[in-house]
Amino acid sequence: MIKIPSYLKPGDKIGLLCPAGYMSLDKVANCIKVLQEWGYEVRVGKTVGGFSQNYFSGTDTERLTEFQDMLDDDSVKAILCARGGYGIGRIIEDIHFKKFKKNPKWIIGFSDVTVLHAHIHANYQIATLHAPMAGAFNDSEPDGEYLQSLRKALSGEKIKYQHEVHTFNKKGEAIGELVGGNLSILAHLTGTSSDMKTKGKILFLEDVGEYCYGVDRMFYQLKRSGKLNKLAGLIIGGFTEMKDTERPFGKTVYEIIRDIIEEYNYPVCFDFPVGHMKENMALKCGVGYKLKVTKVKVTLDE
Amino acid sequence: MNRKDFFSSLLIVSAAPGTVMAGNKGQQAGTGPFVDARAPVIPPYLKQGDTIGITCPAGNITFSEIQPAMLQIASWGYKLRVGDTVGKKDFTFGGTDTERAADFQQMLDDPTIQAILCARGGYGAIHIIDQLDFSRFVKTPKWIIGFSDITVIHAHLNHNFNIASIHSKMCNSFPDDWEKAEPIQIETILSIRKALAGEHMQYEATTSTVNRSGIAEGMLAGGNLKTIETLAGTKSDLNTAGKILFVEDTGEYLYSIDRMFWNLKRTGKLERLAGLIVGGFKIKPDDPGEEYGRTIAEIVLEKVKDYNYPVCFDFPVGHQKNNYALKCGVPHKLIVGADNVTLQESEILKR
Repeated sequence: MIKIPSYLKPGDKIGLLCPAGYMSLDKVANCIKVLQEWGYEVRVGKTVGGFSQNYFSGTDTERLTEFQDMLDDDSVKAILCARGGYGIGRIIEDIHFKKFKKNPKWIIGFSDVTVLHAHIHANYQIATLHAPMAGAFNDSEPDGEYLQSLRKALSGEKIKYQHEVHTFNKKGEAIGELVGGNLSILAHLTGTSSDMKTKGKILFLEDVGEYCYGVDRMFYQLKRSGKLNKLAGLIIGGFTEMKDTERPFGKTVYEIIRDIIEEYNYPVCFDFPVGHMKENMALKCGVGYKLKVTKVKVTLDE
Repeated sequence: MNRKDFFSSLLIVSAAPGTVMAGNKGQQAGTGPFVDARAPVIPPYLKQGDTIGITCPAGNITFSEIQPAMLQIASWGYKLRVGDTVGKKDFTFGGTDTERAADFQQMLDDPTIQAILCARGGYGAIHIIDQLDFSRFVKTPKWIIGFSDITVIHAHLNHNFNIASIHSKMCNSFPDDWEKAEPIQIETILSIRKALAGEHMQYEATTSTVNRSGIAEGMLAGGNLKTIETLAGTKSDLNTAGKILFVEDTGEYLYSIDRMFWNLKRTGKLERLAGLIVGGFKIKPDDPGEEYGRTIAEIVLEKVKDYNYPVCFDFPVGHQKNNYALKCGVPHKLIVGADNVTLQESEILKR
């Protein structure tokens, strides 16, 4: 049975850190301000705007130590990753989840943070939050629906998503735990101890900056490793900034996906607002949802 | 002698001619290296007059583009059979999935074809691998030749049948004008001929201060790193235990290479190796402001620091001119020293 961390109350403290790529302090200022306006206290980690001169926000040890510290600190009620990038895969096996397992808290983020979503789902059955990170507070209005979905998710308000139809959608109704995240990360974790099972679940996927053939290859990996055949439902989010080879692949990314999952009967929706774009809804990984895909609309209800 | 060395030498002894790993249950008790229990199956080497089939399981190629390869291979005394997929084009693919699978299947099953040369890589072998029926091929194995995307087939043979195959240049790498070709082009192309003819293979690599010295003996396995990663968890997942693993890649960011080596490590592919050969890595330059700050050697050595086997870098295999034919699934001996790096087919295991 999935464990759901306590939702946040006014005055609760959110830890903000960079477990992967570097982010400067000025880029998180809006995020901190808005979280405070929402009534939360923010503890800003040293990995945010740290002294790192390279790609990472700090050394592996620095990033690991800070994550571990916030994970184990009872006064921190949720951990918001300021950004993704690349780097959680380098420290995941060294994080101790013993205390977190007893006192779960919300771990928030997307993209590279999918490593945490998958690892926690595969090993501890604790819900996590796939949601916009600090950068989104620079690009979106705090009262817009995407940042508001994060606020609602944190405070425990149930969210009902409603979305437009897409011609590739497959109608139906699915009930199951919601799991997913970044396609490249999920493909890359296949066969490791962070590899999650998808049987009977609603899987959502998004990606950015990949080649069409690369997306095709990763979907083949999901398919051939048994992650697509027993789903309850499938949600395809944004596949943004896609690239093609000199000789065109001959299909759009959505056509590639449509054709690979053609043989399955579960409901599928395309163009769902999750991914590397403004339209990025907070989704609770591990929590039960109902996905309904009809001729006129798509709904996803907790 | 530590436990690992003990088992390594045990492997060599038990694998003497006639008893090539037969009866070895493979997975020894305790923490010793896992050794593939299955005897390696080595297809018959080619004789003069034998036929090589050319097919496109992945990207497309034109008939005129394979002419240099056909001329050269014919001069070696082999006949050629050009598959239906040569000249076919379905966007980047050498024909539709159905056409490519049918052509490959026909060559697998045709008893008058003794080896299958993939015309080029690209992308697409994964689309047909599950459609192929290897039952006849398993009874009468033949050499399958190629690299890059063809790693799908090498890995699939490794995982399922333990049948040897040749990792080498393909038709698209044969020089247009043999007379004007560089010595390295000629030498690497002729290494395919040697491999097919059953000659004893031996390679020299440059020494490097980042190499890790040692001697390893085991079957060769490997290929394109990205392809190996995307096969993890599938029924073509590369089995590397007790083997000498070689990897190469092209056009990837350093961070992505780092992530792929984590995948190898976290899927258990580095833990029980006999040795590791790092071939060519053509790196995609970091985006401005996203400098990764680590070299290939640093990336690799970090992942294997807990293990003791030899590691060599810049081995002549990859998307480059110095890409020699390597026999996957055939036992080899790797020697990494301060003054020399050699890889040679194991005499002791050769049948």
